Amino acid sequence: MTPAVIAQIEPIATPEIEWFAVSPLLVLVGGALVLLTAAALARSRPPRGFYALFTVVTAALAVACSALLWQRVTDPGRGPFTAIGGAITIDGFSVFFAVTITAAIALGALLADDYLRREGLDGPELYVLMLLSGTGGVVMAMANDLIVVFLGLETLSIALYVMAGLHLRRLESQESAIKYFVLGSFSSAFLLYGIALVYGATGSTNFGAIAGFLSGNVLASNGLLLAGFALLLVGLGFKVAAVPFHVWTPDVYQGAPTPVTAFMASASKAAGFAALLRVFVSTFDVYRLDWRPLMWGLAVLSLLVGSFLAVVQSDVKRMLAYSSISHAGFILVGAEAASDRGIAGALFYLLAYTFMVVGSFGVATLVGGRGDADHGLSAYRGLSRRRPLLALAFTVLLLAQAGVPLTSGFLAKFYVIGAAVEADSYALALIAMLSAVVAAFVYLRITVAMYMGDETEGAEAVTRPAVRVPPGAALALGVAVAFTIVVGILPSPVVDFARDAVPVLLSAP
Amino acid sequence: MAAQNLVFAVLAVVAVLAALRVVTTRNVVHAALYLVAVLGSVGALYVLLAAEFLAAVQVLIYIGAIVVLFLFGIMLTRPTLGRESGLDNDQRWLAGITGLFLFGVLSYVLVEAFGDERLPRLEGLDREALTAERGTGAVGDAIFSTYLVPFEVVSVLLLAALVGAIVLARRE
Amino acid sequence: MLSAVWLIPALPLAGFLILLAAGRKLGEPAAGWLATAMVTGSFVAGLVTFAGLLGEDEHHRQFVFTVFEWLPSGSFSVDVGFLVDPLSMAMVLFVTGVGALIHLYSIGYMHGDPRFHTFFLYLNLFAFSMLMLVLGDNLLITFLGWEGVGACSYLLVSFWFERNSAAVAGKKAFVTNRVGDWGFMVAIFLTFASLGTLTYAGEEGFLENAGALPEATALGIALLLFVGAAGKSAQLPLYVWLPDAMEGPTPVSALIHAATMVTAGVYLMARVNPLLDAAPAALTVISVMGAATALFAATCAVAQRDIKKVLAYSTVSQLGYMFLAIGVGAYVAAIFHMITHAFFKALLFLGAGSVIHGLHDEQDMRRMGGLRKLMPITAGTFIVGWLAIAGIPPFSGFWSKDEILAAAWDSNRLLWLVGVITALLTAYYMSRQVFLVFFGPPRWQEAHAGATSEEALAEPEHEPAAAQAAPATPHESPPTMTVPLVVLAVLAAGGGLLNLPGVLTLEHFLEPVFEDRLHELDIPAGILLSLAAVTGVGVVIGILAARAIYLRSTQPADRFEPELLRRAWGFDQALAGFFGGPGRAFANFTSRVLDGRGIDGAVNGIATLVRGGGSRLRLTQTGYVRNYALFMGGGAVLLLAFFLLRTGVA
Repeated sequence: MTPAVIAQIEPIATPEIEWFAVSPLLVLVGGALVLLTAAALARSRPPRGFYALFTVVTAALAVACSALLWQRVTDPGRGPFTAIGGAITIDGFSVFFAVTITAAIALGALLADDYLRREGLDGPELYVLMLLSGTGGVVMAMANDLIVVFLGLETLSIALYVMAGLHLRRLESQESAIKYFVLGSFSSAFLLYGIALVYGATGSTNFGAIAGFLSGNVLASNGLLLAGFALLLVGLGFKVAAVPFHVWTPDVYQGAPTPVTAFMASASKAAGFAALLRVFVSTFDVYRLDWRPLMWGLAVLSLLVGSFLAVVQSDVKRMLAYSSISHAGFILVGAEAASDRGIAGALFYLLAYTFMVVGSFGVATLVGGRGDADHGLSAYRGLSRRRPLLALAFTVLLLAQAGVPLTSGFLAKFYVIGAAVEADSYALALIAMLSAVVAAFVYLRITVAMYMGDETEGAEAVTRPAVRVPPGAALALGVAVAFTIVVGILPSPVVDFARDAVPVLLSAP
Repeated sequence: MAAQNLVFAVLAVVAVLAALRVVTTRNVVHAALYLVAVLGSVGALYVLLAAEFLAAVQVLIYIGAIVVLFLFGIMLTRPTLGRESGLDNDQRWLAGITGLFLFGVLSYVLVEAFGDERLPRLEGLDREALTAERGTGAVGDAIFSTYLVPFEVVSVLLLAALVGAIVLARRE
Repeated sequence: MLSAVWLIPALPLAGFLILLAAGRKLGEPAAGWLATAMVTGSFVAGLVTFAGLLGEDEHHRQFVFTVFEWLPSGSFSVDVGFLVDPLSMAMVLFVTGVGALIHLYSIGYMHGDPRFHTFFLYLNLFAFSMLMLVLGDNLLITFLGWEGVGACSYLLVSFWFERNSAAVAGKKAFVTNRVGDWGFMVAIFLTFASLGTLTYAGEEGFLENAGALPEATALGIALLLFVGAAGKSAQLPLYVWLPDAMEGPTPVSALIHAATMVTAGVYLMARVNPLLDAAPAALTVISVMGAATALFAATCAVAQRDIKKVLAYSTVSQLGYMFLAIGVGAYVAAIFHMITHAFFKALLFLGAGSVIHGLHDEQDMRRMGGLRKLMPITAGTFIVGWLAIAGIPPFSGFWSKDEILAAAWDSNRLLWLVGVITALLTAYYMSRQVFLVFFGPPRWQEAHAGATSEEALAEPEHEPAAAQAAPATPHESPPTMTVPLVVLAVLAAGGGLLNLPGVLTLEHFLEPVFEDRLHELDIPAGILLSLAAVTGVGVVIGILAARAIYLRSTQPADRFEPELLRRAWGFDQALAGFFGGPGRAFANFTSRVLDGRGIDGAVNGIATLVRGGGSRLRLTQTGYVRNYALFMGGGAVLLLAFFLLRTGVA
């Protein structure tokens, strides 16, 4: 084309880009790119732990950006806003999840540091993928559009598929990656179809527009919309590992490299719930009578299946996988309440859960030993004598997951069940408490194994290599345990954080 | 518009039959080639809907890239080409029922919602306006305005996929 | 002086933290002395607070001290705060008092244990939790303490986890208590839903408003709380953990499983008395369950051979008395009996511990006998405890038991009769114990030092040759152990002074807590005296029967110890059988159906279970992706079907 022709073309009306609004995303992607490039160009190997340190610093920068954003959205003069053509929303909710997911990245990187060297896999790839995956998660939380949700979810997932298969010499790792990939694509298809149906019913994929349309119009026939709900719930239910879309969870959690499992169980679940809460509780609020029974069903199934099946497992990673399913059930209890209090409870639960679950899988990372294969309950026997502090940390994390008072886990359960009671979901509250009782047995089993030796202990101690606790993992575990206890005793700041993070519905300007 | 209806019918029949063959044929290479027929028919349907850009992208990406990748993958991993057993399992009836149910429900809701609507006749419309509204240029505009964020996120997605592919393909 | 209340739980907490940080360095016996000093300090702080409370106006003795806001939650918040009133102070004083004595005793008892400091670490943590439980100013803090004492109990029961039975007992205690905790948790949420608060005191508080609840709600909450109380206080059918909990070190049995923790349920019932008043049906349930437990456990106690098991069943039985008292509205009698029971049962346990210690870990009473000459202090104090629990005037047990029985008579004659029969049985089995252990011919030479009591109990005929290790001569215990025994003996003898008829010190003190809900006895003095006489005759019959069988008779006593009773009517086995059989089968069934792994997975899963959790076997044949995909597709179908039905199409 000649310059004259080019001059004739009207410039496209690109939306204004608020760089500040997407700064956490930019930091995460930028960090990934810099790390990738630097590692490729570097002449010599970087010092030990450089990659992990870089990732943690990147995550810290992202948290700092989130803090600035938080100041802006909680400022009464300015408040929440949409950015870049209404595609993303910056409100307390997005910032909350940006912080949660970034925390998961930092903790996951700390766990991965020594693990990768131990397994002979050292390199920047895992960290790059973790940052990209986290970016996808934050995109999901910020999304103000179903398309953006879908793309965020895909970014999150694709990186996770690869991370699950990162341990190239472990067959289980490969197997879990393939399983996750196939089933994940399957569920994405459902999600996408759901988006299409909702678009067909409402004429938009933008949350503000959808909510406006739903509250302003009475649909003559809402089959299309409700079918869309169902398919969206399939896709998001898969991501948060809610029964009956949980089938992949035990196998993948068990097979994936343990630091990846830690990241998967925390960040991926958080991002899934971010989308679930924003789409259903916030956007489809008008249709709550239609989706609440479904949420109820998913919550009950997740609670019961998660806690009952956790009891019959013999592999600790598998136990934790099932327990994470039951945790998903608890968070769904908060979602089912369909109130601000329910959302705040779910958010508190997610943040508390993130630290508990990363810490728990962190312990599994260390105990698993070289080859990442030693995850049977027997590997934990007598841990209290070999590594008293590690056993103590794990005990705290397990007790917190069981919901013992003075830990963040107790308050988390308290808030979601309280919200359910307030929303008159008494049956659900009862089932949740019952499943908490059942699940406590699982945590007890692990604790017992750690503190009670058996007769063969003496002989096994000889053959069993000592559990090493490298500094990075020690730091991650320390942070997780400290968070669990401190929030359990003084929860007010986190409670306020969660309460101010209830999503806001905004239309494009 | 009898001609258009006729073309639609032909394309639809081809797509459905080819799709059935994809899952019933015992030869993996044949399955991939039937897939080309399915995707090509769908692409042609897009042309019928006056979505030329989408049709072009469909052919370029699905047929040009993905199916070719499939074929490469098959050739590099399968020692023998030809009819094979073991492509099927005892779950096919349950899977069929599930699939049929999903198909039934989704068809039902689509018919219920849009059964009475008709596509506007092209003669009565201003071609210029139509192109401005849904032509390739309009798609380009949308990508760089309304869908700027998705567009950028896709690049991150591709980056993740790229890194992932290298990680998995690399042998130590 | 009242503001010293925060010191009461703070001191044991400080002790716990110090021991956590530097316990290993302190070592033996400094760690023990530190822990003892902390609990003693706590007792002193309790006395100071108590004095302060006495200085206040009699009918306004209810003070709340808030430490910090713990749970902000919308319109309401839960504070960490302490409620000082006559009830909580009575509890604090006997918990810290008896606790301090048992700490002191433990220094001697745990001598030489490699984890000496850990034991005191747990003990201090327990004291802290127990004090939070009784001092907490709302249901949540009480629950927090409740969980805390449960956890400590669990840790201490399985303190000697090298013994498999100890580990199993710990597990059992935990699981049974979780059932009770579930009831408590649901009760908390129900309370919150119906009253909007969990705080006890104040205008808006639980105590003021519980009486105004609709009867059905009040009944629901009260029964759920009773489920919790039954779990913690070992009532039927949740008592099963307590006899097994005797695997723990003896001071633990004395402190947790006799004097303090197991009475938490009784305390809770007394604390929520306005609620019980609003639900008379709950009171009936409580009194019937209490009486049933009292009788049931007493029958079990007559056939036990383990010196501690007798005391364990006895504790269950005595706790049943307390619930009986609660159920007939005799709250003060319940608290009174709780206190005297703490004195004499702690004494009996510590005495038993002293015997076990002296006999080098022998617990089978058939290998004791004639010990009163060799262990005079232990024997003397134990006999005081025996007289107290049997209900011989003027020892403490007589007064408290008599009060409960009188209240029971006033409420329901059948309950009274059950109480009297239990009293007879109590006298019988305690006499049996005393005669077997301290009187008669010495049989401890037969004991083999190397054999643990567990093995010996399981195979009584298969006695290893005694010559392998010469049995050491039983010896009296060191002063750290005998001093607490003597002090407790004095208390057990004179504890009745707290609430003598006519003087009623304790009743006047506690009266503001219960107000008009307290059951007024409406019995003429003559009948009251004859009731006491009937009980007295029963007690004497019990003692004489035991004497006839165990001291005078030359026949083997086995005839009087039915196997069925020793196994607690087979209740435990039935329970274990259920959970081991159908319960496990159910778990396996769900695992097969829901895990989506197909038959292979279930078979492998069961095989893995059978191998006792050995998980080396990778389950490679499981987890087909196609099964998973179908499962998810099925889920999608279900969701869609639901909506389809909702839109009214299908």
